[in-house]
Amino acid sequence: MPMLNVSLTVNGRPAAATVEPRTQLCELLRENLNLTGTHVGCEQGVCGACTVVVDGKPQRSCISYAGDCEGGSITTIEGFDDDALMDELRVAFSRHHALQCGFCTPGMLITARDIILRLGETSAARIREELSGNLCRCTGYVGIVEAVEQVSKGKAARDPKAPVAAIEATVASRPADTVRKVFAPAPRPTVATPSAGTSARKGWSSIEQRLTVGFSPDVVWDRLSDIREVSTCLPGAEITELDGDRIRGKMNVTLGPMKIAFNGDGNVMLDAERRIGRLSGGGRDAGSGSTAEGEVEWRVLPGEASDSLIQVSLSWRLSGRLAQFNRAGLVQDVIQRLASIFVSNLEASLKGEAIGEQSVKSLGIFSLMWGVFKERFLRRTRKNT
Amino acid sequence: MKPAPFDYVRPRSLPEATALLSDESANAKIFAGGQSLGPMLNLRLARPAKLVDIRNIQALRAVRVDEKSYSIGATLTHAEIEDGAFEDFSQGLLPFVARGIAYRAVRNRGTVGGSLSHADPAADWVSTMAAIGATMVVHGPAGERRVPAEQFLVGAFTSKLGATELLTAIELPRLSATARWGYYKVCRKTGEFAKAIGVTIQDPRAGIFRVLAGSTEGRPVLLARSGETLATQGADRAAGVARQEIEEVLPHLEPGHRQQLAVAVQRSLQKISLLETV
Repeated sequence: MPMLNVSLTVNGRPAAATVEPRTQLCELLRENLNLTGTHVGCEQGVCGACTVVVDGKPQRSCISYAGDCEGGSITTIEGFDDDALMDELRVAFSRHHALQCGFCTPGMLITARDIILRLGETSAARIREELSGNLCRCTGYVGIVEAVEQVSKGKAARDPKAPVAAIEATVASRPADTVRKVFAPAPRPTVATPSAGTSARKGWSSIEQRLTVGFSPDVVWDRLSDIREVSTCLPGAEITELDGDRIRGKMNVTLGPMKIAFNGDGNVMLDAERRIGRLSGGGRDAGSGSTAEGEVEWRVLPGEASDSLIQVSLSWRLSGRLAQFNRAGLVQDVIQRLASIFVSNLEASLKGEAIGEQSVKSLGIFSLMWGVFKERFLRRTRKNT
Repeated sequence: MKPAPFDYVRPRSLPEATALLSDESANAKIFAGGQSLGPMLNLRLARPAKLVDIRNIQALRAVRVDEKSYSIGATLTHAEIEDGAFEDFSQGLLPFVARGIAYRAVRNRGTVGGSLSHADPAADWVSTMAAIGATMVVHGPAGERRVPAEQFLVGAFTSKLGATELLTAIELPRLSATARWGYYKVCRKTGEFAKAIGVTIQDPRAGIFRVLAGSTEGRPVLLARSGETLATQGADRAAGVARQEIEEVLPHLEPGHRQQLAVAVQRSLQKISLLETV
């Protein structure tokens, strides 16, 4: 990877470094410039310990990289030695016992200074709100809030309105068009009948999809016993080896900026008498250091007249960094979509139609089989790139 | 965690950025504030080969206005919207929403277009823009196209943006002085992702009566019947309809989540009815 030459101003002095583009700003400050006052905690924008001032505004230095701070002006906690307001804060922090281990303190002080500059005299409630992005595990925040409140007394707010974007009067956009009509169209269509629930197994999630097709149960079962055929209906799935009831395969999932490829193996169980099929297994995505386990079970039941009812249930559990991301529900949505595409592909396949384009692209998630995936994504950091 | 290696480029113009994206096999990723992508990079959940930093493209920071609508550039930050860095045409809605996003240090860097492109169902702008009836301006190799905000999300982390496209601006209707809005989100902690979002926008002069349930794990849902009831019978009646409608249109969600959504939507309606009695 090519190296990057970065020049920036740090604490009022020019600084330069030749670093890998992936170097985080906090790393650049600590490792290259020896400014270890900036503390690195969670490295995912949650804890606030690494907060520094970039071009006059407090920002996280763990989710900013060498390239994007090129030309910027950075002030770290070391740069506030001669700052009168910071001086007051330091004294107040000592007086109110606003720190114990000191890990969060550089970020707290930088955030506190910004609160007072922006808002002037501030209530304790607002201070708590404004400090919510800086975690302290020692003090319980009481001393910190008191310190900030005391220093803020009698201070005036800075005028926040630094004009950033001049408004261009009347341009381009087509007026009437944007003001669109009021009553919105109906919500998302329901392909089948999904129902979500927590699986009986601890840590597992599951969803169920049903589909009625105009073929007899025998015909449907016959088709669903062909594992390779079935796998083509699941976007992103690929069977690489099939030997008796053992199966090896891949599951590719693209989810926003995340591209995940689970490699794994599993077992197939087919009960022709009861028309129940089950595929279970697990896989690992080396890149993200995550594993997934999953199971898909399908039952073919007689429907009305000569129709069949196909009942598909998907259960999954994720672990590793993907699971740390931890936002239940999002994965469920992905699986839901995956299951819907699967069910409609299955229907197309039974009717002898071509399988939709979606099945070719990897949309879904996970390890070989269909359902494997899991809830829990991105917990904390916020949106917004 | 440190990110997997990536290359970094800083285009100065939109055509330059589009050209960098045009080769899909290059695995390039648009980077604006990086406040959502950064954590994914650090956790190595996202491993793009190249970051295309669009923050220095001035055209993406433009604000344009005409009589009925206005557009805001995709790389304006949440903090800029919060601070009123450009004139507000939303009767206070956008600054209010901006202030509730994450934390000030994140808002100072995170951008409105980045948040929308990231397509997290729990993100504030995803719900807000859909509720307002905004239009996404999308730029790609084939030129420009527009997508209604309420259709922009396909699902969690998946939007209608193609791999070689980027969001350049958001067009919004101007709300009149008679407009009322209510925005309520259920959060476990200040700045956390919302469990549920309720938005109501009522602007009789512009003919807007919209009620929305957001943070549904997928696309936010406009509650059509609640909107109609709001227009014809007022906010209090709409609140009753909203609960019923949420039960009907989001049957796949857990009952607890539907309850949170119902409460968020009802409180957003309640805010309208409180404003009207004043």
